[in-house]
Amino acid sequence: MLILSCPNCGERNVSEFRFGGEFNPRPPNPDACGDAELAAYLYLRDNRLGVEKAWWYHQAGCGLWFLAERHTKTQEVLKTNVWQPDEAGEGADGD
Amino acid sequence: MSFKLIRQALNGNGLLPRMWRSHPVRDRYDVVIVGGGAHGLACAYYLAAQHAITDVAVIEKGYIGSGGSGRNTAIIRSNYLTPEGVRFYDESVRLYEQMATELDFNVMFSQRGHLTLAHTDGAVRTMRRRAEVNKLQGVVSELIPPDEIERLCPGIDVSDHPRYPILAALYHPPGGIVRHDAVVWGYAHQADRRGVHIHQQTALTGVDVRGDSVVGVETTGGYIKTGTVLNATAGWGSTIADMAGVRLPLTTFPLQACVTEPLKPFLDVVIVSGSLHVYVSQSDRGELVMGASVDPYTSYSMDSSLAFMEGIAGHMLELFPFLSRVRVLRQWAGLCDMTPDYSPIMGFTPVRGFLVDVGWGTYGFKASPICGRTMAELIAGERTPDLIRPFRLSRFEEFDLVGEKGAASVGH
Amino acid sequence: MATEMTRPQAGSRTDAHRLPPRSGEVIDRGARVAFTFDGRDYTGYEGDTIASAMAASGVRVFSRSFKYHRPRGLLCCAGQCPNCLVQIGDEPNVRACTRRVETGMAVCSQNAQPSLDRDLLSLTQLAAPLMPVGFYYKTFIRPAALWPSYERVLRRAAGLGKVDLASRPGAFDKEYLHADVAVVGGGPSGMAAAVGAAEQGASVALFDVEPSLGGRLRYSRSRSGGFASLRSSVANRPDVDVYTDTSVLGWYQDNWLAAVKGSRLFKIRAKSVVVATGAIEMPLLFDNNDLPGVMLGSAAQRLAHLYGVKPGERALVLTANDDGWDVAVDLAEAGIDVAAVVDERHSCSSSAAKALISRGVPAYFRHTILEAVGSKRVRAARVARIDPLGEADRSATRNLPCDLVVVSMGWTPDLALFHMAGGKSVYDEQRSEHRATDAPEGMFVAGRAAGAGTAACAMEEGRIAGKSAAAFLGFGDGPTASEVSDLHARKAGEPVRTSGRTIVPGRKKRFLCYCEDVTDVDLQTAIVEGYDSLELLKRYSTISMGPCQGRMCSMNTVRLCARANGTHVQETGKTTSRPPVAPVTLGALAGQNMEPVQVSPVHQWHLDRGAGMMVAGLWLRPEDYGDPVAEVKAVRERVGLMDVSTLGKIQLTGSGVPELLERLYVNQWRKLGVGRVRYGVMCNDEGVVIDDGVCARVQEDEWYMSTTSTGATTVFEWIQWWAQSGWGDGVHAVNLTDSYAAFNLAGPRSREVLQLLTDRDLGNPKFPYMRVRSTRVAGVLCRVLRIGFTGELSYEIHCPASFGMHVWEALMAAGKEFDVAPFGVEAQRVLRLEKAHIIVGQDTDALTDPFSANMEWVVKLNKRDFLGKPMLTRMSERGTAQRLVGFRMARPDLVPEEGLQAVCRDGNGRQEIIGWLTSCRFSPALGETIGLCWLPANVAAEAGTPFQIRRGGELEEAYVHHGPFYDPAGERLQM
Repeated sequence: MLILSCPNCGERNVSEFRFGGEFNPRPPNPDACGDAELAAYLYLRDNRLGVEKAWWYHQAGCGLWFLAERHTKTQEVLKTNVWQPDEAGEGADGD
Repeated sequence: MSFKLIRQALNGNGLLPRMWRSHPVRDRYDVVIVGGGAHGLACAYYLAAQHAITDVAVIEKGYIGSGGSGRNTAIIRSNYLTPEGVRFYDESVRLYEQMATELDFNVMFSQRGHLTLAHTDGAVRTMRRRAEVNKLQGVVSELIPPDEIERLCPGIDVSDHPRYPILAALYHPPGGIVRHDAVVWGYAHQADRRGVHIHQQTALTGVDVRGDSVVGVETTGGYIKTGTVLNATAGWGSTIADMAGVRLPLTTFPLQACVTEPLKPFLDVVIVSGSLHVYVSQSDRGELVMGASVDPYTSYSMDSSLAFMEGIAGHMLELFPFLSRVRVLRQWAGLCDMTPDYSPIMGFTPVRGFLVDVGWGTYGFKASPICGRTMAELIAGERTPDLIRPFRLSRFEEFDLVGEKGAASVGH
Repeated sequence: MATEMTRPQAGSRTDAHRLPPRSGEVIDRGARVAFTFDGRDYTGYEGDTIASAMAASGVRVFSRSFKYHRPRGLLCCAGQCPNCLVQIGDEPNVRACTRRVETGMAVCSQNAQPSLDRDLLSLTQLAAPLMPVGFYYKTFIRPAALWPSYERVLRRAAGLGKVDLASRPGAFDKEYLHADVAVVGGGPSGMAAAVGAAEQGASVALFDVEPSLGGRLRYSRSRSGGFASLRSSVANRPDVDVYTDTSVLGWYQDNWLAAVKGSRLFKIRAKSVVVATGAIEMPLLFDNNDLPGVMLGSAAQRLAHLYGVKPGERALVLTANDDGWDVAVDLAEAGIDVAAVVDERHSCSSSAAKALISRGVPAYFRHTILEAVGSKRVRAARVARIDPLGEADRSATRNLPCDLVVVSMGWTPDLALFHMAGGKSVYDEQRSEHRATDAPEGMFVAGRAAGAGTAACAMEEGRIAGKSAAAFLGFGDGPTASEVSDLHARKAGEPVRTSGRTIVPGRKKRFLCYCEDVTDVDLQTAIVEGYDSLELLKRYSTISMGPCQGRMCSMNTVRLCARANGTHVQETGKTTSRPPVAPVTLGALAGQNMEPVQVSPVHQWHLDRGAGMMVAGLWLRPEDYGDPVAEVKAVRERVGLMDVSTLGKIQLTGSGVPELLERLYVNQWRKLGVGRVRYGVMCNDEGVVIDDGVCARVQEDEWYMSTTSTGATTVFEWIQWWAQSGWGDGVHAVNLTDSYAAFNLAGPRSREVLQLLTDRDLGNPKFPYMRVRSTRVAGVLCRVLRIGFTGELSYEIHCPASFGMHVWEALMAAGKEFDVAPFGVEAQRVLRLEKAHIIVGQDTDALTDPFSANMEWVVKLNKRDFLGKPMLTRMSERGTAQRLVGFRMARPDLVPEEGLQAVCRDGNGRQEIIGWLTSCRFSPALGETIGLCWLPANVAAEAGTPFQIRRGGELEEAYVHHGPFYDPAGERLQM
């Protein structure tokens, strides 16, 4: 079982967490979005075979939503962090 | 006894025809199909058989059927929730019914009956809704009470002891299972006979797009000039589309399954429980073939998890308490490309000549024949057949999603 | 022939094939164990396996094969092959060679009709030419209508053991283990690894599938001098936990291991892993290689050494290595007549060989076997010289009488766990074995699994692996470079142990896969047909997919496949190693039933009153107390009390709450005054309704939100998500769902009841509709919301869960004079339906927006950005195709079931679906059937529009209804 490190609690079994999907920030001004842009936000995903930046929630723990950069094939977790206001809109680098 | 077997018995192996041949990769094909699974091979077969398009290459990075086609639990049914879903899958069931004779290969389609259990009043409501939708479209499907469930499936626990007692079931007699590999091999054989080239161990490495049109593909077997590329992959739908610069509404999750040691047959129907996330049938070899819902997080790894085995074992014993001493022999995983509305994406993309047959979630196998036929029709006629119009990619931008999500919790 | 199946009377010939007592045996000859096999009495000793006890009584046939029903005898005696699968009571497919015999066990053979001895289905062998590999794909095709009948026949022949529908789960459980280093395999290398790691300070868990540590040292002649001392040093180390009789089932991400011991599943988190899983002895393909009496060398040794059982009377040992000569010596010393040793090599200079040859045992060097001769058991072996090309020379053969053919041709390292973890290996052509190359980080491999031959070498390699595993975790410095290079040199100098020979061609059947009766010819056929890669071959022929999980056949399959394709073993690849490494029961995997159940603090009260409980998410809640119609009536006419503790309850504090609520709900919140309550609807950005409920502003900066019962967790997490990613400045959210009980006191007399329990003035002026008040009820500080899902004057009383029962009982007691009645979910469904209130999740689904759900009044598109606004804006502009509306039936007493379809006739007179019923009940208040349904917007637009509902093939007329059915002006709420 994958071990994921909660920024609050440290390393825990992945079964303690709920996966929240690819990091997909809400458009800053959604009212101004055209149909294509809105549909892209709502539905399109990078779905990377590589390092994916995604949301996780420490459900059986502290209740923190955080971001993890995880390789979707090797499962290596490169980084976990609490959301920051300047959180990059693009997914992490990687292939 | 089949003539073929008698001939084989008399002649030995020497005169046995190859099911499919290998060819050098040519530098151009009219159509390149990416993915040698049931979908891709069915499409190749129909292109050749019904549209006389035989200059077709099927590119498969492993061996044919190595993806979802060989990893699913081979359940076939058409008792969907939406009229468009029922229409589509019912046509698929019809094609499965005639597949053995059409392909001259026994795919062992066993219409043994399919039961979707309801454990909550909400599920009962959904099952009745499905049954009614099905009946109105001529699909045999009905809601049955626990004693009837027990009659069809002796030993199943219909008492009120389980955590989630069985309240009713949606019974779909034409549903059943098929020998999944045989479907792949049968299509491959018939496509090969008609001139289609099947290139195993050949991976797609790039899609050559000039302007807004496809002009060729890069493969590990070399560059192929072509104006039509069909992405018929599962698990790699996004990755392949990305090569053509197309972004798709897909999220890839592993789906796991397992089998037990062979047992004398006791389970003659397919049992599905949405609430318990388990579906099970007993193969003609006697193994129980079991699956669950997709894994809780995205992954392209096909590693198995212990949590899956623990979960499915617990749920199996809720349904069948007498199986506690039966042993699991093997577990495996496949990859599923999930879409936002639990319905596939079929047809054109913004890139001319780059077509998709992706996003099949956990239910792609059962649609293989009808997908192959309709995608071939689309390629040959350069227009979207009505049957698959609801599944076009542009529906997302048009905010016209398919309503199948309502039955998503029981998606097998 | 039947006489060969020795059938002793009880106890009489138990020891007919038993050797004199010997050191190292695991049986207790003082303790007899009586059991039955196919109804006949047998006895063995304490410590015997079922197979050893039966073999001691002379039984040679243990099973019938899967396809041809050929008799099969003991082959591996190590739980690796399918040949001794038996049924014990309700437990199918038990490996008789590893299951210890117990008094009273009722053991049965499987897959044989009418008996193991005379199995009629063995006649299928006559039709074998018509049943080549994959025959079923080529026949039963036409006419298609007959396939179901064929399938029934095939199914009758399928399967091995039987299930007993009356069987019930036993006591299964689970245990978590933690160790710095997990060592898998307790043979010489595993024991040494455990000690090696522990000496560096690491905590170690050591697992072995056998009843005691030692691996092959327990039963083979080549006992190393260090064995005893190693075993005692393992036993004496408190930092090494030993788990015997325990099979490790699999490696999962991040060194998460599963293992099973009897009915207990271990889940192990290790920081590093040493794989010391040993090697599996390989069968050779030759004519009739499945005949009972053909046995692997290690199997013969196990029988003789561990159980004191003679594997046969006269043995022919077939070998290609020194191990085989050791086996021959073992057998000779045990008093078994060694007819000959057939060695495919030119010579052997081992001490065992010299000893045997000097004793006059015939040695046939540069010879091999052609055939095991016999029908139900071995009578002789036909051997032949190997010609200069390396093939058997069929022109000069000889028959050597024997009843036992011991095959000791080599080993395949057991790298299943290693490969599962991502380890890489290469095939060493010279040694004819796979060699582990790249181990995943934190994994180390040692002993025979890593190619070490002698026990001494394995121990050294184990010690080094243990040290390395410890050093990986920071314990000690790890082995020195010279230790490692010395080991490599030593391994390189060891003799080749495994023959490259896989098959001796012949004219009869040679079995590659014992589980599925697949022969080398079947494999050839499949390859010719195009199934030429390993995975296709496996799927077509079913090789390696049977109970042995490929242990007996995988390596031979790869070799034969390589040969047929003219490639190398390395290029051919290998089949994927998948868990579980050993078959494991569903019971052990499931453990005890740990399905969570949530109940309210008043649960017992409901049970005591005979409430019918229903499942609602994780909750159990009263559906009714026997008469839901009376419960509805009580609420409408007097007063009722409902346990609504299942509602989600979320406390939000801080100055940022109004802003957050504006974002989360589609309606407005900023201006809600203190002490007020408002109904709200939440959507996601797709504009889909995800939950509804009320939210109260208890104080300036304190809000109390309720959610649907099933939505509590997801809504709380949803709030947290947005609050923690930018919208939560000055907001603190706490989920109080489990901490608070909640009761709905509803009905025209509810105020009078509640007033009896509180000092606060409940009169309309002081506590009007849609207000919240904090007050003591029956002495307990409660939060009381005046709201009304039921459409009557009502109060929702929230109190700490620990006081729940007290407050509930106080309310029931106070209500007694008003004839209060508890009411359940069913009554509530009727009451809310009379008010046309929707239930999210029942009347809506995962695609429903508030407009089509007839709640446009709640959506405030003129407020600033909120979740769902862009989509809702589009929807309001574009309109919705379907609407949720009320309906009443033309036949007032007919209650159509929820889920039925609304239909109309299309142009061709066919019924076309136009909608469906989500809710439907008979309304006692109205005296007619009412409901909610989805209809096309144009049909739903006009109240009174008729439409048809299809029920059991009949069409029933209904009429569209707008607004609440009962008290449309809402006057009763304001009472």
